[in-house]
Amino acid sequence: MTAILELDGLTRTFGGLRAVDNVTTQVNQGELFGLIGPNGAGKTTLFNLISGFTPPSSGEVRFKGERITGLSAHKIAHKGMSRTFQNLRVFPNMTVFDNISVGALGMIGVGPFSSLWGGKARAREISERSWEMLEKVGLADHADDLAANLSYGKRKYLEIARALAMKPDLLILDEPAAGMNDSETTELAEFITDLNKSGLTVMLVEHDMGLVMGICERLVVLASGQKIADDVPKVVRQDPGVLEAYLGGDD
Amino acid sequence: MFDPYILQQLAIGLSLGMIYALMAIGFTLIFGVLNVVNFAHGEVYTIGAFAGLMAISAFGPPLLVVLFIALAAGAFAGFSLERLAFSPFRRFSDEASLKSRAMREATLMSSLAMSIIAREAMEMIFGSQFQSVDLAYLINKPINIGPITIVNGDLIIFAVTLIMLGGLQWLLKKSPIGLSIRAVSNNALGAKYCGINTDRTIIITFVIGSGMGALAGILVGLYYGAIFPAMGFAPGIKAFVAMVMGGLSSIPGAVISAIILGLSESLSTSFMSSVWSDMVAYGFLLLTLIFFPQGLFGARRDRV
Amino acid sequence: MSKSRLIKLGLIILVFALVPAILVGFDKGYYYQIATIAAIFMLLAASLHLVTGVAGLLHLGHAALYGVGAYVAAILGAEYGIGFTIGVPLAGLSAAAIAFLVALPTMRLMSIYFAVATLGIGQMLFLIFQNWVGLTKGPNGVMLFSGLNLFGFEIDTDLGIYYVVASIVALSILVLNRLSHSYYGNALRSLREDDQCASAMGINVTVMKIQAFVISSFFAGIAGALWAYTTGYISPNDFQFSQSILILTMVVVGGLGSLPGALIGALLLIILPEMLRSVGDIRNIIVGVMMFGAILFLPKGLFGEVSALNFARRMLGQGWAAKKGEKGIGWK
Repeated sequence: MTAILELDGLTRTFGGLRAVDNVTTQVNQGELFGLIGPNGAGKTTLFNLISGFTPPSSGEVRFKGERITGLSAHKIAHKGMSRTFQNLRVFPNMTVFDNISVGALGMIGVGPFSSLWGGKARAREISERSWEMLEKVGLADHADDLAANLSYGKRKYLEIARALAMKPDLLILDEPAAGMNDSETTELAEFITDLNKSGLTVMLVEHDMGLVMGICERLVVLASGQKIADDVPKVVRQDPGVLEAYLGGDD
Repeated sequence: MFDPYILQQLAIGLSLGMIYALMAIGFTLIFGVLNVVNFAHGEVYTIGAFAGLMAISAFGPPLLVVLFIALAAGAFAGFSLERLAFSPFRRFSDEASLKSRAMREATLMSSLAMSIIAREAMEMIFGSQFQSVDLAYLINKPINIGPITIVNGDLIIFAVTLIMLGGLQWLLKKSPIGLSIRAVSNNALGAKYCGINTDRTIIITFVIGSGMGALAGILVGLYYGAIFPAMGFAPGIKAFVAMVMGGLSSIPGAVISAIILGLSESLSTSFMSSVWSDMVAYGFLLLTLIFFPQGLFGARRDRV
Repeated sequence: MSKSRLIKLGLIILVFALVPAILVGFDKGYYYQIATIAAIFMLLAASLHLVTGVAGLLHLGHAALYGVGAYVAAILGAEYGIGFTIGVPLAGLSAAAIAFLVALPTMRLMSIYFAVATLGIGQMLFLIFQNWVGLTKGPNGVMLFSGLNLFGFEIDTDLGIYYVVASIVALSILVLNRLSHSYYGNALRSLREDDQCASAMGINVTVMKIQAFVISSFFAGIAGALWAYTTGYISPNDFQFSQSILILTMVVVGGLGSLPGALIGALLLIILPEMLRSVGDIRNIIVGVMMFGAILFLPKGLFGEVSALNFARRMLGQGWAAKKGEKGIGWK
C-alpha cells in the first residue's frame, strides 16, 4: 500500500503548550482514515498543520511523496488536497451554484484575461463540473438559492460538494457530523463511504467516536497532542489508553 | 547646547502631540468597546471648537467656562452620534454578529456619512472660511523661558491634557463606570451576561471620548485662532494614526504615539516645507500598518 | 428577437441615440457637461465596484488614483504634446502601476486596516498633487489647452466629445461587466466572503486582490484622463478625500456587489444635486444623507447584488440557459 500523506515527527507549540507533539503516521492511498480525540486534543491544530494554515514548529508533512511543509494553503490545495471546515464556512452571500464553482475554478484556474476572451472552454468545464457535484450531493434544486438560506444540513453537503469540485486526491473532512442528528449522521456516513468506494482517499477528523468507528478502516487517536493509538477500529475501541483519554479527566 | 529653534519646535510639537493624544483617546476608547472605527471623531472636534466660539461671541464667559461648554457640546455630539450612526447596526445577540465585518463596515460608513452631514451643515451655517475669534481669548501670549519663547497656550494645553488623562485613569481604574467600560472592552457578550448594561456603557464611552475630542478642538481653535468647518479632518486622521501605532486598544500606547507624531511633525518643518508635514503622519501610518501590525508597543490585536 | 438582445439593443440606443438626441434638442453646453460628468462617474463607480463590491476591499482612496490618471494625461498633453490617443491609455497604465506598488505591501492587511491604508495613500497622493509644484503646478492646477484629438481627427463639438467619452466609458464598463459577471467574478466574491476559505480552494488570495485593485485603478486612471480632457483644467480639489467618498456612496447606494447598482448610484448622485442646484450648493450634504439612508434603510442598495447577478445571467444572457436538466446556470 502506498502512502498518500505522511506525517513525520510533526510538532507545534504555542508558547509553552505542545498542541501537537511529535505525531508520526501515514494515510494510505484509497483509505478511509479517521483522526479522533477528545476536545482539546490538538486535532484541529494537526489539521491546520497538514493543510498549510499553521506552520509546524518542527517535523514535516509529505503529500504524494513530496514535502509540503511550509507551503501556503492555496499551493497545497493545488497539489490535490481538499478540506472542509469545522464551523461550516460556505460563502453565505453567494448562490449554491456559485459556491461550488469556486471549488472548481480554483483548480481549473481563471484570470482576468481569460474571462474577457478565449476562456469559453474553461468556463464550460467549471460549469459542468460544478453541476456534476451539485447533482452528486442532491442540491440541484437549490442551485439558484443563496447559501445563507440553506438549512444547516444542506450547507454541510454544500461545503463537501465544494471541496469535491476541486477533484482532490485526498479529502479531509473536519467534524462533518457536528450538529447533525442520528439519521442525518447515518446518511452522511453512507455518503462518505460511497465517496471512498469510488476511489477517493478520505480523512475524517472527528470528536465523536460514533461515525468514525462505524466507517473508518483505520484510526489514529490523539490526546494532549500525542498519538496514543493507531490501528483498526476494533483494536482502538479496546485500547485502555483511548478509553482513559475519553472517559478520564482529560476532557 | 541645543539650537533654540529646535527647542521651540519641540515645545510646539509637544502641544500638538497632546492635542492628538486627547483625540486619540476618544478613538481608542470607542475602538475598545465596539471594535469599530468612528470616522466622525474629527467632526466632534470641530463641533467643540464651534461651540466654544459661539459661547465666546454670545456672552464672553471666562476661559474655563468656554472649555466646559465645548466639553459638554462634544459629549452631546458623542451621544447623538452613537444613537444615530452606531446603535442601529448593533445586535448583541452572539459572538459572530458582534465581531462581524458587516457591522464594522456598516458603522464605518455610517459614521463617515454622519461626518459629511455634520461638516456640510456647519459649512452651510457658518461658511467655509476661518471664523474670527475674539483676540482676548486667544491663548498665544508669549512667555520667554531663557532663549526660547513659548505661548501660554502650550502651558494650558499641557495642563488640560494632564488633568484629562489623570481623570480618565481614575475613571477607568477606580469607578464603577470605568469597570463596566473595561469589561465591555474585554468581552462585550460576557459583560452583558454579567448584568452590565452594555448599551449604556457604550453611550458613556462615546460621551467621554467625544468630550475629550471637543476639548481638543476648542484648544486648537484658540491656540491658532483658526476655527473652520473642515478643521477636524487632518487631526482626526492623525489621532487615528496614533491609535493604530499604539496598538489599537492601549491608551498609554496611543498617548505616547500621539506625542511622537506631534514632535516629529513639528521637527520635520526644520528640514522641509511645512506643507509636507502631513506626509509624516501618513508615512507613520503606512509604516506601522505594514511593519508593526501589532502596534509599536506590541499590544494584541485580533483579526479584523 | 430574444429578451437579452432586446435589452442590449435598448441600452445601445439609449446611450448612443436617445441621450444625444435629448442633448441636441436642448443644445446647451451645460447639459453636455452633465452627461459627460455622469459618464465619467459611472466608470469610476463601476471600477470601484470591482474592488469594493465584488472583492470586498473597502477602498477609501479611489479618487486619488483617478487623480493620477488625470494628472498624467494633463501633464503629458500640456507639457509634452502627447495627445488623447496615447495619453488616455498611458493615464490608465500609470494609475495601474502606482496601484500595483501600493498594493504589494498593503494587500495582506485585513479589512478595515486596508481601508485606512488606502485612505493614507490617497492623502499622500493628494499632498503630492497639492504641493509638488514643480510637477503638478500645485493648487493652481494644470490647464490642458490641446483639444481632443483622436487618431488624428480633431473632435471639437460637444456632441463629438460626448460620443468619444460615452464610447470609451461603455467599452470599459463592458470589460468590467465581463470581469464581475464571470467565474473570475465568482473568485473575487469568494475573497470577500471568506478569504481563508478561498485559499483552501486553491485561490491565491493576495494575487487575486492585487489584480482586482490594479484593474480597478487602471479604469480609474482612464476616467481621470477623460476628466482632464473634457474639462480642460484640473486642480487637486477634484481628487480629494470627499470625492473618494462620493464614489463610494454611489456604489453603496446602488448596492455593494452590483454593477448595474453602481451605475444607477452614479447617475443618481450626479443628476440629483444638479436638479437641486436652485436650493443651493448642497451636493455634499446629499451625498452624506444618501449614504446614511442607504446603509440604514436599504442595506442591499437600490439594485442589490442578487438581483444584479440574476439580471446579468438571465436578462443579458451571460449565463447558460437556466432550465433544470438542461445543465446550467453558470457563467458563459
